[in-house]
Amino acid sequence: MTRSSKIFKYVGKRLLQGIPIILAIVVINFFLLNLAEGDAVDVLAGEAGSATPEYMAQLRAKFGLDQPLPVQLMVYLKNVATLDLGYSFRHDMPVSDLIFDRFAATGLLMTSTIILAVGFGVLLGLLAAMRLNTWKDTVITVFALITYATPLFWVGLMMIVVFSLKLGWFPTSGMENVAAFYEGWDRVKDIAVHLVLPTITLSLFYLALYTRMMRASMLEQYGQDYVITARAKGLTERRITFVHVLRNALLPVVTMAGVQVGALIGGSVIVESVFAWPGLGMLAFESLFARDLNLLLGIFMLSSILVIAVNLVVDIIYCFLDPRIEVS
Amino acid sequence: MKTILQSCALAASLLLSSVSAYAAKDGGTLAFLVQPEPPTLASYVSTSGPIGLVMPKVYEGLFDYDNDGKMIPILAESYDMSGDGKTVTFNLRKGVTWHDGKPFTSADVKFTIMEVLKKVHPRGPNSFREVTSIDTPDAHTAIFNLDNPAPYMMRSFSAYESPMVPKHLLEGQDVKSAPLANNPVGTGPFKFVEWKKGQYIRLDKNENYWQEGLPHLDRIVGRFIPDASTRTAAMENGEVLYAAYNAIPNIDAVRLKERDDIGVTTDGYSMINPMALIEFNTKEGAFVDPAVRRAISTAIDRRFMIDTIFFGYGKPATSALSSNFKATNLHAEMPNYPERGDVAAANAILDKAGFKKDGDGVRMTAVLDLIPYGEDWRRAGEYMKQVMGDIGIKLELRYEDVPTWLKRIYHRYDFAMNINYFYQLPDPVLGVHRHYGTNQIRKGTHFVNSSRYSNPTLDALLDSGSKEPDAAKRTATYKEIQTILANDMPVVNLFELQFLTVYNTKLKGAYGSAMGAYGSFREAYLDE
Repeated sequence: MTRSSKIFKYVGKRLLQGIPIILAIVVINFFLLNLAEGDAVDVLAGEAGSATPEYMAQLRAKFGLDQPLPVQLMVYLKNVATLDLGYSFRHDMPVSDLIFDRFAATGLLMTSTIILAVGFGVLLGLLAAMRLNTWKDTVITVFALITYATPLFWVGLMMIVVFSLKLGWFPTSGMENVAAFYEGWDRVKDIAVHLVLPTITLSLFYLALYTRMMRASMLEQYGQDYVITARAKGLTERRITFVHVLRNALLPVVTMAGVQVGALIGGSVIVESVFAWPGLGMLAFESLFARDLNLLLGIFMLSSILVIAVNLVVDIIYCFLDPRIEVS
Repeated sequence: MKTILQSCALAASLLLSSVSAYAAKDGGTLAFLVQPEPPTLASYVSTSGPIGLVMPKVYEGLFDYDNDGKMIPILAESYDMSGDGKTVTFNLRKGVTWHDGKPFTSADVKFTIMEVLKKVHPRGPNSFREVTSIDTPDAHTAIFNLDNPAPYMMRSFSAYESPMVPKHLLEGQDVKSAPLANNPVGTGPFKFVEWKKGQYIRLDKNENYWQEGLPHLDRIVGRFIPDASTRTAAMENGEVLYAAYNAIPNIDAVRLKERDDIGVTTDGYSMINPMALIEFNTKEGAFVDPAVRRAISTAIDRRFMIDTIFFGYGKPATSALSSNFKATNLHAEMPNYPERGDVAAANAILDKAGFKKDGDGVRMTAVLDLIPYGEDWRRAGEYMKQVMGDIGIKLELRYEDVPTWLKRIYHRYDFAMNINYFYQLPDPVLGVHRHYGTNQIRKGTHFVNSSRYSNPTLDALLDSGSKEPDAAKRTATYKEIQTILANDMPVVNLFELQFLTVYNTKLKGAYGSAMGAYGSFREAYLDE
């Protein structure tokens, strides 16, 4: 069996295995969310300023909230099977529209954060390990410690104060300049400018993690037997580091990155809130307070699909990084 | 010679008028803060605050109200009230069209009041309860027929309170879920363009607006920014030019006030009359005895709360009615609402009422619920706990999220003491009666009589006060009402909130209406 067809089979098997996991997540979350006091109708009525019990009963019938829980669950699962994620009564829009709308913003932030955090984290960790116990190493380690320990929202706000208010280099918030309504390339540039501060803020935290992990991983690899052999063979330090040790040291970092992609959808609530970035994190946060269960379940499902997919990708990357690992 | 002089005079006057026309400049986009993001744009179904920030620019009412309370003709040019107050004839403006081009007529007014506001609006059934029918003899006349005179009704015709909606887009549909909700079509100076959830609402200039030369602005954009500090930063950076209803927290507003390019005002809230208060459970729990409630009211240092928590923006309450009602002679100063708080007197009241202190100095314990609308209210709760401790009432604070809190207070009456704030609105019938009437004890309905206070004498007074057309008699009735309430105190008024509007000084003309941020902005312009 060729390697690539083995991989395809493996991918197929993993995807099939993913389906019962997603199902279990949806069912468990459904019951967990329903444990919370109050429902969407209470919130809507409260916001309207007043509402009679008759109106609220009417709304409940309309939303299907007056049915017993297992029935509501069955209806929801049936809809999901036909890719109908339900309707968000708070936003008056189908859930799938809402999610895809905001997914682009979250995806943009997530992708740029991962590239920045992993890229720089690996580089800095590499540098620290190569220049072990010199001043470069100390500076990098301390930097990682500080960025890790500082609260995200404070970093975000300080970025706004320094780079936006004092220096005026970047806008304070939002994804685009709403007063200007740019088109085409102007819009792309506008979004890119707005993306800078939120990305730096979010990636600083993860960068610290990857730096330290990469450094530790490199040091562990340096202590392995094959490095001693390579040195005995007379290979240059440069070749040992970049051709041999690096690939092995990357394995734990890749694992970590995979896990964090899943966390990034939720973890960005803070950054989305501080920078008014219209992503899924804020949507999930608000829908919890609005008891918008359809929307929440939709987001959870998307999250779980994403995590499963990323785990799969990470496993495949493994086999390319380390030829000893085979997909079985 | 004469003709030369005449033409010179004509030229001079033309020149002068064109110079004065330059005072208001056309063009530009106004970005302002809308906090939080509205749940819907159907202002005819929900009076939620953020909806009021946006929709009165799209929909209009029959009248607007200036800062002195006088009525400004908008969709109605004038009105005539019959001697007995039971027939009100409105002469509607001609030449007004909806944003989709159809003409605005009396049929729209009749439909809006009878089928929409009286049926699904939170306050409409109360504001228009005396209206039994509306006659429309022609397209520009609407005659309201009332069962009883309703002086308060004339105060509720602003675009925020009673927006006129298009009959041709709502007729035959379920008003609460019609597509008009998120695709509004009104007669206002700005028309709805798009609502990007989580980001902004965009309104563009209505080129066919009925008033010549208005609006000045090309576009209005309402931005949603969840974090308070970021909102302040956006204001400092000039990315937004206007923020009302404390979208900028007081602590930042006092700092921004020092800048030359930023102004802060407390104007624009006189039709709203927000009042911070405490609702008590008068049927069960620690506070069923009115003496205890009077003691609590006596102990609170209202000035301290205003100065320390709200940075000086507020006015201590002196009765069940806001002092803004002095303008219509309905407010009267009452005892038991001390500005500075008198702990000794409060302790005396409790001693006399027979509530002894135990070994630890505690007379009774209870849970204090707080309105979950922000940090300021948590501070208010913490202060309350402190001062109640001084008179021997041990309080535990409870801060839940909005749906849980609403269910607890208004569905289950599972509370003892609840800090809240209400809009008293332009007339007590609209915003005050709902706390005290027996017929307002409606389990499951939010923001009405949750204390379950029931006093037949008071009910009769509330009823006559709402129907009384004679101003002097009305003043006397409300004085009696306030006297009874100052004694029974099912709700203890704390202080009149002063909301702040923070604006960039290059924005002009946004302040003519008493509705403030809930106004239409049709005269607003940017003076770069």
